[in-house]
Amino acid sequence: MNKISTRQATLVYIVTGIILIIFMIPIYLILASSLKPSADMFSPSADGLFTPTLQHYVDLFTLRPFHWNIINSLVVTLGSTLFSVTVRSLGAFALSRIRHPRINDAAFWILSMRMFPPIAVVVPYYIIFKSVGLLDTPLALIIVYSTANIPLTVWLMKGFFDEVPEALEEAAQVDGYGIVEIFYRITLPLAAPGLAVCAVFCFIFSWNEFLFALMLTGSSAQTATVAVMSFWSSDAVQWGRIMAGSFIILIPGVIFVLTCQKWLVKGLTLGSVK
Amino acid sequence: MGYVNRRNRTIAGVFLLPTVAVLFLTTIYPMLYALYLSFRNYDLAKPFIPRIFVGFANFQEVLTSGPFMHSMLITFKLMAVTLTFQFVIGVGLALLVTQRLPGMAAIRTLLLIPMMISPVIVGLVWLFIYFPELGYLNYFISLIGINPVPWITSTQWALTAIAIADIWQWTPFVMMGTAAALQSLSPEPYEAALIDGNSRIDVFLYVTLPQLKPVLISLLFLRAIDAFKIYDIIFVLTKGGPGDATETIALYIYRQSFTFWRMGVGAAASFVSLIIISVLITLFFKSMQKSAVAR
Repeated sequence: MNKISTRQATLVYIVTGIILIIFMIPIYLILASSLKPSADMFSPSADGLFTPTLQHYVDLFTLRPFHWNIINSLVVTLGSTLFSVTVRSLGAFALSRIRHPRINDAAFWILSMRMFPPIAVVVPYYIIFKSVGLLDTPLALIIVYSTANIPLTVWLMKGFFDEVPEALEEAAQVDGYGIVEIFYRITLPLAAPGLAVCAVFCFIFSWNEFLFALMLTGSSAQTATVAVMSFWSSDAVQWGRIMAGSFIILIPGVIFVLTCQKWLVKGLTLGSVK
Repeated sequence: MGYVNRRNRTIAGVFLLPTVAVLFLTTIYPMLYALYLSFRNYDLAKPFIPRIFVGFANFQEVLTSGPFMHSMLITFKLMAVTLTFQFVIGVGLALLVTQRLPGMAAIRTLLLIPMMISPVIVGLVWLFIYFPELGYLNYFISLIGINPVPWITSTQWALTAIAIADIWQWTPFVMMGTAAALQSLSPEPYEAALIDGNSRIDVFLYVTLPQLKPVLISLLFLRAIDAFKIYDIIFVLTKGGPGDATETIALYIYRQSFTFWRMGVGAAASFVSLIIISVLITLFFKSMQKSAVAR
């Protein structure tokens, strides 16, 4: 863009810096509070002076079965990610390659599924899972999250398949390959980075999800987000423990931001930003 | 016509089938079930009472009684406030962080962190900040001589408190989308406009903004749809209270279904809100198609 003077650059830095600090305060508070002794929890004057302690993290795994919550979260997250990416890449390939006047309508219909409010289907899910005995099992959440992930994955994957040159596939067809072979021998390997990005998106979504996890799990399949929330409602409020759990939960998202920033734009805006 | 001939197109249809089948089983079926429930009197706490067909009674209750309309009002009020701030701050921030200055890329990345955090965690950390008597926010405003504010315990402030947390989480989203769009714009029109002696504000209003319009519309609809669904942050901060001061549509459905166990009323309210969101979706597609034609 256009050049700006040193004075203007200083101004840009000051304004951006102030906004950055304001936006980072809550994240700092999560980390700091997870390391603060309980006595200093609400004394801002102690910030920078308190003696860091790992006690809250130790408590998470000794006084509470937080490792089981993390394992539940991982099972649900990995299960739904695997399922989403496999089934969806097939659907996305079809949407990308079929030449038909109404194919975009189909793509839009699949996209529109993202927009239904989860609360509207939580009641039916609850009743259905209750009647088939899947309530409070990881499988129930895997099923729900896979559905929730469909629109995002299909839409994202379609974009990646669109970028694979069809000339390669045509050449393979001349060599006598069938469409299924072409898909997994040629197109899929070429779109592999896209597959990885989709997987990460599904991972973050399922990892962060709260509403379905709260409604559809009890004590045995409880995920990490629900467990952290339960530290608040049960007996005395354990802020140190809440913040330690929160910090563990936010790690994957932060790693994702730092490593695949450019894909974030594409994924979260569903390709509406080029 | 691509290489996909008629025969292969049939097979490609098979690729599509698993997606459609799973979508049907896990989305359409629960929705049909919800539709069935919305015409029944179903108390989940008393499962042995037969589910009587009650006609449109549930819908009538939802549409004519005060609480649902109140929750609708709260939802749209919250949506209006959060979207306004998210777009004003987000677009402004995007203009700043796309300046070609050292360190801006890193700042841009750091600013994206809030939107990757689980909304429950966002709710919890803001609960910590707003905490009655002890919270950080009251401590800081007391430093500049302002009296403590009962952020989440008064009907007057609770909605504002929720709006602030939501603005914090989603302003980065608007910034991210706008910044990406800004960087893809070609520089010539700016240089020409600046050489012609226009002020920077004029250049922004008459050169940049029109080019950003399609992207901003997309971002606005994506945000509006999410704002309509807002649940987690409110659940953590106020559970819809105090009273019904922060009861959005999602919280209303939650209360009907899981506090009063009136599944039929909850399902009917779900459908009414589905219809509203469908109207939003249609508007979204129309604007998407329009901007696709323009491109």
